[in-house]
Amino acid sequence: MYQLIKPMIGTEIQIVKKENGDGTITFIPLNATANTDYQAFKKDIAEGKSLQDADGNVMTAEDAKAYIATLP
Amino acid sequence: MTQAVQLASYGSTGQSMGFKNRIINGAMMIDQRNAGAAVTTANSFPVDRFQYQNDSDATLTLQQSSTAPAGFSTSLSVTVSTADASVGATQYSIITQRIEGYNTSDFCWGTASAKTVTLSFWVRSSVTGTFSGVVNNTGSSRSYPFTYTISSANTWEQKSITIAGDTSGTWLSTNGIGLQVRWSFGVGSTYAGSAGSWSGSTFFGATGGTQLISTAGATFYITGVQLEVGSTATSFDYRPYGTELALCQRYFQVYGSIGSTGTQGDVFIATYRNSSTLFMAVQYEVPMRTTPSFTQISVTGAQWSSQTQDVGITSFSLSNTPTPRTAFVSANSSGAFSAGNGLVYTNIGTTTNAFSFSAEL
Repeated sequence: MYQLIKPMIGTEIQIVKKENGDGTITFIPLNATANTDYQAFKKDIAEGKSLQDADGNVMTAEDAKAYIATLP
Repeated sequence: MTQAVQLASYGSTGQSMGFKNRIINGAMMIDQRNAGAAVTTANSFPVDRFQYQNDSDATLTLQQSSTAPAGFSTSLSVTVSTADASVGATQYSIITQRIEGYNTSDFCWGTASAKTVTLSFWVRSSVTGTFSGVVNNTGSSRSYPFTYTISSANTWEQKSITIAGDTSGTWLSTNGIGLQVRWSFGVGSTYAGSAGSWSGSTFFGATGGTQLISTAGATFYITGVQLEVGSTATSFDYRPYGTELALCQRYFQVYGSIGSTGTQGDVFIATYRNSSTLFMAVQYEVPMRTTPSFTQISVTGAQWSSQTQDVGITSFSLSNTPTPRTAFVSANSSGAFSAGNGLVYTNIGTTTNAFSFSAEL
């Protein structure tokens, strides 16, 4: 499960959070095109994995795919 | 001794002053993630820079081991916990080291000037036979399968494979994947190719190689891995431990109290943001390959100490983009902080990691 995170500074969402299932939590920058976690996030959403918005609402698969299409 | 004479003496004795070995952590000494504990999950790193990839029905256990040949203190051990007696056509089980393009750009691969390189390593297995591996380019669209023979069970043997440089394909020379070196423990027919030549297909091993994963309880050890320019394997390029650790930290670095109890963990300057959030300044040990991701591992023993209070940390998080050099990390505790500046200690008195940054290839 991925969730977008509200920034502490500014208003632009810059980070997505991933619960890894082993008690650890990974925070992935949304501009890190050369980062393998970022690449895996885009692939996971494209394959239909769940994404929550910054308020915790689960996005539809179409909305999630449309969102990642806006990312670098 | 003048610098010129000193340099000349290095040359006359054959000592290497450059980055001869393009493999990082070839002696398997650095294990930031696990401190020697075993891993079984696919895509995990049993030691730094070596990734376990598994798409088979077998279960493997991998970890840093003190079983090593003379001259080495550690190896990477692989044990087949659950066998896959019949490896499917598209299945595979491998370990991979991806080498950054900046570190292989002088190979000139993908051009007419492609240089010959030699891969060498020490290996030991409970199973004898012809084993295999492969060298791939960035997207694994170019493959050079290779084989090596393990002649005696449970005996260390040094292997050497000389590879004529690839004059075709795309080989990155930047901070992306320059090339990938893989050792196969089992590979199906789809991903197995003829050894000893370049192919435009995706292979993870050689046709006819021993399928280690078919034998329950089988063991495999590897260390002293070296990839160098030239057609001859030379002596292993021992680098200072601190240098090797720093090379690993370009791709992954961990903070906390790993490996020792009763310590204060790592210490960070922190400032009050609001009653639930502190901002910690984190300057990485070394600059990272690219913008890293951040993982909270544990908050056990983590504490904020200011002029007026000591408060336990309940989570670490990242809400704004870090750079390849620095990050500010949020340390959180529900409504417990008072205004002021202070320090955040990670994992006081534990052996637990607090958090990590990853810029793996």
